[in-house]
Formats: sequence, structure tokens, C-alpha cells
Amino acid sequence: MTDRNGLLISRRSLLAHAVGGLAFALTANRLRAATAPLETEPGAHEANSLLTRVARPLDAETPPQAFTAWLTPNDRFFVRSHFGPPAPELVAPAAWRLHLAGLVERPLSLSLDDLRRFDEVTITAVLQCSGNGRAFYRPKTPGVQWERGAVGNAQWTGVRLRDVLDRAGVRPPARHLQMGGADRPAVSDTPLFLRSIPIEKALHPDTILAYRMNGEPLPLLHGAPVRLIAPGWMADSCVKWLTDLTLQAEEAQGYYMQTAYRYPSRPVGPGDAIAQQDLKPVEAMVVNSLIAHPQQGATLSRGHVMIQGLAWTGEGRIVTVEVSTDEGRTWEAAKLVGDDVPYAWRQWQFLWRTGGPGSRTILSRATDDRGQVQPMASPWNPGGFLWNGVDQVQVQVREA
Amino acid sequence: MSVTNRRHRFRPYALSLALLCAAFYTTGRAEEQTTGQSADQQAQRLLASRCSVCHSTDLVQQQRLPRDRWEATVSKMVHWGAQLDKEEEALLTAYLANYFHPEAGPVVEWPTIPLSGEEPGSALKQAGIATRGATIYQQNCLPCHGEAGKGGMGPKLSRNPILTQADRFRETVVKGRGAMPPWGSVLQAQEIADLHAWLSTLPE
Repeated sequence: MTDRNGLLISRRSLLAHAVGGLAFALTANRLRAATAPLETEPGAHEANSLLTRVARPLDAETPPQAFTAWLTPNDRFFVRSHFGPPAPELVAPAAWRLHLAGLVERPLSLSLDDLRRFDEVTITAVLQCSGNGRAFYRPKTPGVQWERGAVGNAQWTGVRLRDVLDRAGVRPPARHLQMGGADRPAVSDTPLFLRSIPIEKALHPDTILAYRMNGEPLPLLHGAPVRLIAPGWMADSCVKWLTDLTLQAEEAQGYYMQTAYRYPSRPVGPGDAIAQQDLKPVEAMVVNSLIAHPQQGATLSRGHVMIQGLAWTGEGRIVTVEVSTDEGRTWEAAKLVGDDVPYAWRQWQFLWRTGGPGSRTILSRATDDRGQVQPMASPWNPGGFLWNGVDQVQVQVREA
Repeated sequence: MSVTNRRHRFRPYALSLALLCAAFYTTGRAEEQTTGQSADQQAQRLLASRCSVCHSTDLVQQQRLPRDRWEATVSKMVHWGAQLDKEEEALLTAYLANYFHPEAGPVVEWPTIPLSGEEPGSALKQAGIATRGATIYQQNCLPCHGEAGKGGMGPKLSRNPILTQADRFRETVVKGRGAMPPWGSVLQAQEIADLHAWLSTLPE
């Protein structure tokens, strides 16, 4: 109880978790993803479900129990839609084309077969919605109220964007790559989802045009036939249903680049006016962790419990994960397990001796090789982006 | 005011109003103002008919925003093509700020409108009036089904086979189908009949 500030924040976020869980139970629709395998046993339906936040266009998050796996299965991978998938005929492999234009020597129009002739690469990378954890900000910020599951780790197979840009020949004034997809809003006055990334990220050898996800053709909900994967960066840069790449001197114009997905470069409070030049695009992920087992609200027998979880960061590596079971007063190092793969998340374990019966809070806190440490609560920002407050679950310990 | 109080205060009120509406409803928005529909009910109809053109209303219900944020949000949506006139925009903003504010609990209960299109005896006994159907179409269906029912994001409706089965048409409108949201809380049986009558006049 000595760390009053920590305890205060901890209790507040705990309440958010508990309250969020209640709202979940009462309101969440469960979605059976189109790609889900047939049920083989009782409970399989539940296990294959996503938790729907918005039914149309679909926004749905991965249920926490899926995070005990290193790779998140496609049918349990979170879905974020601005307008929903385009009509299937627009993205059918036979009809689909990727257009490269703007500041290039040779504009290109590539079919899927053309694209497959470039060298194929596979990268395992975390994909995370910029708004993951938005529900935990106080005061609340507008947008989909994601809790902990708008994140996943998958193997992405495709070709290097750099190779394709080299074929087109990037002309020197080009500083940004604008990306457009085949999805369209229901009403024509709604701005298109146009995004851009700086040329350095576009030319990075790990930035790929992905057409497979965990070995399967990219599912429609995840951007079929081709999406961008910008490893280490938030998913708002990873445009789905890609059809148009434009090299240009400036960032993409319009709402989704100039207004949305921006983050203040200095601390702000609710209601503060923020000058446009102080708002920077959301780019790299921030250090984060997640407790996959035990689950929020679980009842455990007194004794030893293996706490398991995941930790990830943007373009660096995870160096430590710590666990606290006394509301943040003391922290102990967890054991990092599994492979240390760039851009993927790292699994960790912590053997916990529960002590006597009662309510317990488990906290996890990751640190990366650039010295980023998860705070108890992330700095408030008007878009509710980049939440990375320490993860926490509350459990009940009972006599064995 | 607590959510519980709101619920107790509004629910019987909403029900009796709905009965009143069922009894006195004629058609058209001007009449809505005079048949005693509560502001809440009007706002809910706007949510279901104008907002859900682009997104399901669960997105709205999970927000907890102060009035100025709701004003900014609704104004943005109008800018993006939500079909709300000034009066409707104000009505909707007031409703949202009243129920989905920062102090509201995790689960907000709000008075709901009965599925008027499903009321007993609401089958298409009345003859639809095509001229009224045209207006109803403009206000509710056009964004997805296109000018003159020629199709768009939603299927083409002119000469659509479903028009030959009035009951199926009505059921689809009331309950929704696939990506189409249910309109049972928005359109009255007579309005659906009017729509059907107008759509049936359309050429290929």
C-alpha cells in the first residue's frame, strides 16, 4: 500500500476491467467467423468465436483464452473494418489489380500472378489496432471500445514492397507512399480510407505485400487478396484490400490520415486545444503485455499456478517481463520462453504461489530494449490510441 | 439522475406513447411531431433509419461522451452524408448526450420502440399509396438501394422478384436480411405498404 499512486490507478483500471467484463457478458454478440472449422466437440463454437464490438461494419476482438497460442488462428484474429469488405467480385483474384502510380518512372498494374513472381518472404509479426485498450482510458474517448483483444500474432507471406517499388522506379521527390483499398463507404460523402507511410518504411526490407496469413490465402475479412504488413507499426498502416499505391511528396490528405490516427506529441488533458502540428501520425507500437492465463474472474485452487502471457513492442525487442501479485508494490521477473523473433510477440511464464484464499490481482509489465516500460495507465489522448497500461486480471483463490 | 430512475420513468410512458402512436399514426415526418411521439422515440427512429445506413447502432451505444463530443460527432456524421436536417441533428444529439454520457454506467437501458411493423393486424391489408412510398424511399432506402431502386450497396429493387410476394417483402423490411438492418422499429406497416406500392411501379 506504499505506492499510493500506483494503487489508485490500479484500482481504477481494475474497475474498468470488471465493469468491461460485465458489459461483455450482457451485450456482446458472438460471431462465428466464416473461416471457422466445423465444430468437433461441445464448446468448440465458443472457442472459435470472436467478441463483436460493432456488428456492421464488423469490429470484433479475440477472446483472451486464444492468447495462450503463439500464433493467433485466422478465425480468431481480431477484425477492424472502416466500411467492411468490398464486394467479392472487386477483389476476386482474377479481376484484382494493384496499381502503382504517382512519382514513379513506370506506372504498373500488377495481377496477383505478377505479384507472386517476386521473391516470396514470410514474416511473423504482431498486428494491433491503434485503439486496442481504448475502453480503459478515463475519461472515455470516442471510437470502438476495444478491451484487450484487438491484437494478434500471425505469419504473413507475400513479397517485399521494396521489390515492387523498385520495379516501378521511385522518383526522388517521393517521400510518402499512399495506400488505397477496394472498400467503399455506404455513402459517397464519407471520406475514403486513404493512408500513407513514409518512404523509409515503405522501402524497409521487412515491409511486405501479404497474400497469405498463417499459411492460408488471406481471408476476405483480413484484406484479401493483398494487404500491407508494416511490421512493428500499428495496424492503421496495414491497409487491407489494397488496390492503389501512389508515390507522392506529401502524406495522404483527408480525414483518415490528417485527423484520425494522430497522437499528441506533448502531454494533453481532456478538453485541451491541440495544434495540428502537435499531432503526429500513430506509427510504431508501444511496449505492451497481456496475461493469457489465468483468465479474468477465474477461481483457482490454492497452491502453484503457472501464469502465462505475451509481450510485444514496436521495432525493438522485449527484454524483461515482470509480474506483481500485490497490486504493484513488488515485481518479480517472469521467464521469457519460446522463440525471440523480430516483430513477433514473446511468450512468458511465471510460477506463482498463490498464498491463502481470497481475491488476488495479477499484473504484468514489459520492458523493451529501448528502455520503454509499460506505465500503470497510458497518457490520456483524445483518440484513445496506444493504450499500454500494465495488464491485469483479478482471480479468486480458494482452499484446495 | 440514475439510470434506474430513467428506466422506471420512461418505460410505461414509452409504451403508452407507442399505443397512442399506433392509434393515431398517419404518415410522414410532420405528423410525427403532432402524434405525440416522444423526443426519445423520434431520436431512436433517426438512429435506426439514418445512422444505421452506415453502421449498426451498437457502435453508438458503447460510447460515453460529454455533450460537446456528441455535438462534434453528429456534426461530423452529417458532414459525411448522414441525412439529418438541423432539427433532427439537435434532437439526436440531445438524446445521445442524455443517455450515453460519461457518468452513465456500463449498461445503459433506454426506452425502446416496439416493432410497429410487427403489430397484430399490420399485414398489408391497407392498399399502399405509391406517391407516399416515393418519399419514404428517399428518406430511408435510397442510400443503399440507389436512385429509383436501381441498386447500389444493396440489391436492385426495381422489378425484384420479392415485390411479387408482399408478405416476404414486409418481413424482409421488418427483420432485415444479411447486411440490411431491421427496419421494424422505423417503418410502420402502412409505410411498408406504401414503399411496396411505389417500388412495384418502377420500370426495369
